Amino acid sequence: MRANDAINGLVLIILSVALIALTTTFPEFSGQNYGPSLFPRVLSALLIVCGGLLVWRGMAARRAGAPLVAMAAWTRQPWRVVSFFLMLLLLLLYIIFSETVGFIPMAFVTLGVLFLWFGVRPLTALITTVVATMMIYWFFASLLRVPLPRGWLDSIL
Amino acid sequence: MDALLTAFGLIFHLNVLWVIVASAAFGMFVGAMPGLTATMATALLVPVTFFMDPVPALGAIVTATAMAIFAGDIPAAMLRIPGTPASAAYTDESYAMSKKGELDLNLGVNLVFSVLGGLVGVVILILCAPALAEVAINFSSFEYFWLALLGLTCAVFMTTEDPLKGITSLVFGLLINCIGIDPTAGYPRFTFGSVELLQGVSFIPAMIGMFALSELLRGAVSVDQQGAPLAQKIGNIFNGVWEVFKKYWFNFLRGSALGVAIGALPGAGADIAAWISFAISKRFSKTPEKFGTGHIEGIVDATSANNSALGGAWIPALVFGIPGDSITAIVIGVLYMKGMNPGPTVFLQNPQFIYAVFIIFVLANLLMLPLGWAAIKSAKQILRVPRNVLLPIILLFCMVGAYSMTNSVYGIIVMLALGVVGWLMEENGFPIAPAILGLVLGEMLEQNFMTSMIKADGSPFGFFERPIAAALGVVTVLIWAMMAWRAATGRRATVAPSEADVAGA
Repeated sequence: MRANDAINGLVLIILSVALIALTTTFPEFSGQNYGPSLFPRVLSALLIVCGGLLVWRGMAARRAGAPLVAMAAWTRQPWRVVSFFLMLLLLLLYIIFSETVGFIPMAFVTLGVLFLWFGVRPLTALITTVVATMMIYWFFASLLRVPLPRGWLDSIL
Repeated sequence: MDALLTAFGLIFHLNVLWVIVASAAFGMFVGAMPGLTATMATALLVPVTFFMDPVPALGAIVTATAMAIFAGDIPAAMLRIPGTPASAAYTDESYAMSKKGELDLNLGVNLVFSVLGGLVGVVILILCAPALAEVAINFSSFEYFWLALLGLTCAVFMTTEDPLKGITSLVFGLLINCIGIDPTAGYPRFTFGSVELLQGVSFIPAMIGMFALSELLRGAVSVDQQGAPLAQKIGNIFNGVWEVFKKYWFNFLRGSALGVAIGALPGAGADIAAWISFAISKRFSKTPEKFGTGHIEGIVDATSANNSALGGAWIPALVFGIPGDSITAIVIGVLYMKGMNPGPTVFLQNPQFIYAVFIIFVLANLLMLPLGWAAIKSAKQILRVPRNVLLPIILLFCMVGAYSMTNSVYGIIVMLALGVVGWLMEENGFPIAPAILGLVLGEMLEQNFMTSMIKADGSPFGFFERPIAAALGVVTVLIWAMMAWRAATGRRATVAPSEADVAGA
């Protein structure tokens, strides 16, 4: 997804203005006119200048006939679009449910779903899912002692 | 001398050697897989190295990246797909050689000159870093402020086709770094009441997101497109390499020297070193017409340069704490987390640690010869690993890695958010490297800026009072003026290959 620079610039300008607005709540120190707000304000101001230049360039490109948003070729193939969002969706599901459900079931779902969607043969997918989940769990939880959430399997592990 | 012996003791330890060999194999694999880069190898390694002592941790990163940069040459020759961006400069040339039936010679030259180039890089690192550290020991906040600013300026100046987008990316990275408790007054900024944001955006999850997740997202939409390696048998790859060395030894020296210099410049790493040295090789060649037909000369330059750049990048990283490329940017993040602030004081207080890094570098480059040979021999099997199996496993690895940095899903949230941001940035032509440098150097820049402001009582002239600070300041301002002038007159202020160069190469 390649947006026209005018859009990119506009997003950056809105972001910078919001940041500057937030810095007004920062405390000032007496006898010193440079506090925690100085650095973010200087940077935000710079970002506004960059955003302005991008908008200006984007407008010029627009006049020359450039589209507002150009989509890459893969976005016209539903299978690829789903692949892209499936990864993000699985990450999101992991973030929401891993604490209650636990690492092993969530990893199982994440790997299994992706393998099957990417066209790995079901038997290979099953074996790889089990082996990879166990290897990563063993490596991080047992060897490196990372407290991966146990969730549903708490009583077994 | 004592320190040197201590350093040997630190390294020649069964555990450390095991880590080095394992990460070498890991680096070879990641480098040889198209779509997985050396930087990604580092980002994936960091969660594991986080639990190690500093010496094996750095050993793992140094070894894996050296291997990955070489291994990137293998698919370049066999599939016409560079394994890492550092091999992109001579991919077409390598593939042309393979099609002429010179695959063996090509791989042999790539391996041997990668090792030699890497060694030149280490030697220069060993010679330069301690000398520079002696100068740097007298630096105050003014000098460090200008150095950080100069480093960031270089990053924009060197890496991007489009300086405006480079600066935007840099400022964006610096702003992300503003999240959390501010370094001078201790006031929580932009945290919206979140306890986890108090310590700022976690650096390693951010890195995994921007370098690994964004790459996986790009890979997910082309997961079914896998190249088929050339069906050539690989014979004795070392046949004829000596003849090449005798004929092109000057190219090797020139490429290696150039690689170190470019590597040492902040923001520019192995990939840019390869592009520039390949272009220079062609420019000064006696037979420029042979370039593009499978000619070894430019490959000698470029394959030496991209490996020597790795050593070069460590010079500013160790001496000033300013990363020379995105790999050392990650390394500096790791050092900070381990409570070892890179800078000249490390040379005084922990010289054994600096020597250990040097020894690992030499060791890694020597290890590259047998392991590289093994990787070449098994290249067809490595390149046949299906991407649709690999991608989900790497995704899971990223998730666990990001989680283990914070021991909470906060790490995964940071990874997801910055992964999507990184993907959007690349899609829209904003380079990622300046943003990462901003993220790493932001705190140093702000802290030195605020300290200097307080010392100088708000007067801008205070920044130019000390001689070295003044010199650094003037150079920085001059580079800005030049960039602005070039922008105003419509010329591109960049040395990175433009699309026209790539198409013509």
